[in-house]
Amino acid sequence: MISVGIDAGSATTKAVLVKDDSSIIQSIRSTEFDFVSAAEKAYEDVLEIAGIDRKEVDHVYSTGYGRNSIKFADGSISEITAHAKGVHHLYPDVEGIIDIGGQDSKVISVNKGKVTDFLMNDKCAAGTGKFVEYTARALEVPIEELAKMALASKSPAGISSMCTVFAESEVISLRAKGYSKEDIAAGIIESIARRVAVMARQIGLKRNVAFVGGVAKNAAIKAALEKELGISLYVLPEPQITGALGAALHGSN
Amino acid sequence: MPEENMQCFKTLEYLKNSYGERIHQISDERKSGKKLVGTFCLFVPDEIIFAAGADRVILCGGKNDTVSIAEQYLPRNICPLVKSSFGSIVNDGCSGIKSCSHFSMVDMIVAENTCDSKKKMYELLGDYVPTYVIDLPQRPDTPEALKYFLSELEKFRDAMEQLTGNKVTTEGLRQEIRSSNETRQLLHRLYELRKRDPSPISGADVLKILQKQYFLSPDKLKEYLQMLINEVGSVEPGQVHKPRIMISGCPMPGGNTKVTEMIESKGGVIVTEESCTGTRSFWDLVDENKEPMTALAERYIKIPCSCMSPNDRRIDNILELAREFRIDGVIYYTLQFCHGYNIEKQKVQKALKEAGIPMLSIETDYSDSDVEQIGLRIDAFMEMIS
Repeated sequence: MISVGIDAGSATTKAVLVKDDSSIIQSIRSTEFDFVSAAEKAYEDVLEIAGIDRKEVDHVYSTGYGRNSIKFADGSISEITAHAKGVHHLYPDVEGIIDIGGQDSKVISVNKGKVTDFLMNDKCAAGTGKFVEYTARALEVPIEELAKMALASKSPAGISSMCTVFAESEVISLRAKGYSKEDIAAGIIESIARRVAVMARQIGLKRNVAFVGGVAKNAAIKAALEKELGISLYVLPEPQITGALGAALHGSN
Repeated sequence: MPEENMQCFKTLEYLKNSYGERIHQISDERKSGKKLVGTFCLFVPDEIIFAAGADRVILCGGKNDTVSIAEQYLPRNICPLVKSSFGSIVNDGCSGIKSCSHFSMVDMIVAENTCDSKKKMYELLGDYVPTYVIDLPQRPDTPEALKYFLSELEKFRDAMEQLTGNKVTTEGLRQEIRSSNETRQLLHRLYELRKRDPSPISGADVLKILQKQYFLSPDKLKEYLQMLINEVGSVEPGQVHKPRIMISGCPMPGGNTKVTEMIESKGGVIVTEESCTGTRSFWDLVDENKEPMTALAERYIKIPCSCMSPNDRRIDNILELAREFRIDGVIYYTLQFCHGYNIEKQKVQKALKEAGIPMLSIETDYSDSDVEQIGLRIDAFMEMIS
């Protein structure tokens, strides 16, 4: 059985090919303007790596914001269900998932791979990858360096705005007041962690919590979330592909 | 699969013409000297208006396009229902946006002190249309509250007599109570049919008629309800179970069908609505054996609106509906900045959790800006409860 899952996210498009529920092949691409062409390319990537012809693929399932525009898919599932299935496959004990993606963040409560409750952030950028991206820009720091910088801070600056645009101006005024880059970076990180932790507490995530999505690669956010929630989070080796993996597994079941 | 499709009901085809017919009817009535009253809320007893020989139409706005008109006068961050209603009423047409014609036809607005946004909006509306406000006690379960509410209804009755020049008689009230109870019983019969699994009628179809409940004349409404009940009652029992959804929370006035349509396009079927465009409007009857004004006060004060405190009656009601209608999941629907229903969500969530019924919360406005985000939540919720 060969099954492919495609996660058409707002920032990146992920494809995962699963053969007989075990071997996993993946591709991550920038989504750019065209969801469909990014999905098409990611699909071709995994086929090429696996050395498999399109005709040999039994099922293609899509997930992510662009899930309904992927016409070559047999069907689609929501990212929430997809993450639960994908994470459960790699981490069978999982009871909770925190996913911070490009334009939204989600917390999911899971029991034996099935979603039992979930929450998503409001329809603004607070608590998302976009928030980090914008505020890092106001700090004139490449996003890759933000985590390292934040971890070096001894006293994080307080950032209270939930609105990304206002937080950006808050960062600029902190700069004007002479705060160090490290402390402002740590303030940004704490702010997003607080926001997401509120949701995690609302649905009662307490143990065996996995941290997924592109932002999970940021060690400072992981540390801040762990501090905020008082638990340790499990970051999967490749936290960005769990949605696509879940979609692929959905197809093979 | 054809069996997946819901039946097309002729009644709802006829209902499409009902707006124009009703506008003709109220224009004719006004020409002959009959007064037209505009209302916003279930707390205003129709029976008193009709017993005074006036007619009434509901002025709750559900359309997004008049929101921008209201924002010239009202803060942006208040609920869309208040903004849409206000915008529809004060609209002078200069912006090129059209309001539905009935908004400009009322002789008097009869308002009620429920939430803060509405209370303050009514003060502003008074500059445009004569506006009468019924005060509501907000701790409904005390004898003093009932006494006070009764006195407010008596004052309201007097105001209606003054507006119309007609006397409101006990017999007249009794007759209107009987008539309104008939409507309520018809709605009960329609909802009874929705208890079947699968439901023979979609929530979107029921909403079409409920949105006109306080717009049409009672006689016309009863006629449509009777026709619809006959049609729905003769639908062949279906085979395909769809997740049975209850909507709980804010009303969905005419023009606003966004969330209902999304739920049903994603595989669910709404089988009951714990809202003002749902069970809250008709669930309890008025006692026909009591003195009419007292009976009205007793019935109306019990409407479980979130402006009341405590409002445990609403929680009990939700649990009872969930059991009766065999609900698979509740979609808690609130309008942005509706603090009452938004805060009460905590209590509802807790009670449903204890009862083992999943709940999804959706907070939205009348615009389409959040359709994708809401769609994802509904998809995930359907996958979760299926």
